[in-house]
Amino acid sequence: MSYVEIEVRAKTVDLAVEAAMQELGVSNRDQLSVEVIQEPEKGFLGIGGQDAVVRVKRRKSRRRRNDRKKETRGQTQQQTARQKTQAPTKNGGGKPRGQRNQTQNKGRHMSQSGENREPKVDDRPDISIEEQAEIAGRFLEGLVDAYGLEGTVSTQIDDGVIIADVDGEQTEALVGVRGSVRSAIHELTRTVMQRYAHDTARLRLDIAGYAERRRQALTIYAERLIDQLMVEGGEIMLEPMSPADRKVIHDAAATREGVNSYSEGESPRRYVVLTATATATAKGEEE
Amino acid sequence: MAKGEIVERVVTYIVKSIVEEPDEVVVTLVEQGPDDVVAEVRTAKGDMGRVIGRRGRVAKAIRAAAGAAGDEEGITAGVEFLD
Repeated sequence: MSYVEIEVRAKTVDLAVEAAMQELGVSNRDQLSVEVIQEPEKGFLGIGGQDAVVRVKRRKSRRRRNDRKKETRGQTQQQTARQKTQAPTKNGGGKPRGQRNQTQNKGRHMSQSGENREPKVDDRPDISIEEQAEIAGRFLEGLVDAYGLEGTVSTQIDDGVIIADVDGEQTEALVGVRGSVRSAIHELTRTVMQRYAHDTARLRLDIAGYAERRRQALTIYAERLIDQLMVEGGEIMLEPMSPADRKVIHDAAATREGVNSYSEGESPRRYVVLTATATATAKGEEE
Repeated sequence: MAKGEIVERVVTYIVKSIVEEPDEVVVTLVEQGPDDVVAEVRTAKGDMGRVIGRRGRVAKAIRAAAGAAGDEEGITAGVEFLD
């Protein structure tokens, strides 16, 4: 299920779309595809008018949305009722706008006509990976600076992946407990890249050598488990790990004969399973 | 150095880097206690979704980054996102 679709009723098409954007947590109209189910009608002296009804879908939802969204899907009716009272408060007597919509958007896609919002998201160009790396690097430099720390930032591109390194003794402060701050900065750097680029490359970020140390420690850990499997056979379920950590385990397993690895469970509780195999040929890998 | 200065600088820098309208970003530091601050973040209306992110992922990351900034100053730092 990659789509969330809701129906919204409001005084004007614009207001309905705006309410839908809020409901879906979408900041830009261009991320939605809008179908006008019913054009608004004004009625006489405010009596007997008809609200606009639009059906709104996210354009490309990357992943399953959170619970609130799942709920929305099943409760279109209630949603509609709530929006009806909420939406019009935003713009008192938006009649001229409503009227314009009536003539402009005769029951079809209207994402191009968002007159009170410039089309922002779709403006983002497809920029080269080199430029993306530069954006990431500049952001990280500014960040280290904002913290008042001494450090250097370098970026390189390896096989379509941007590798950013923040180095310097003081940047240890940006690692955090079990790399929590590093993960946060990774997320933020990606967000900044997405602000400028339509399709962003993958980003690997290391700070003060933490990721590298973690990789080494995990590899040693995986090696030990594999040794154990070789002796005892069977399979070992590991604790839930991040995609990057799981890859380290898979990589370690790939270098050994007689062991298979695959991932199971749903993120963020996805974990690796190592199994002893007789053949040790096919690798159940799907990262 | 005023308490919370790094927190404020870091949060402001991050939020401005993410939004479409950096000039509309306002970060206000509110002292909650002797060693406890909260950075209140306001942005242009259309930008808040971006700052919070899917499932609040970006907001969570900003909080973690602010926490690290607070650690630099020996204080606890929270972030609140205001509409």
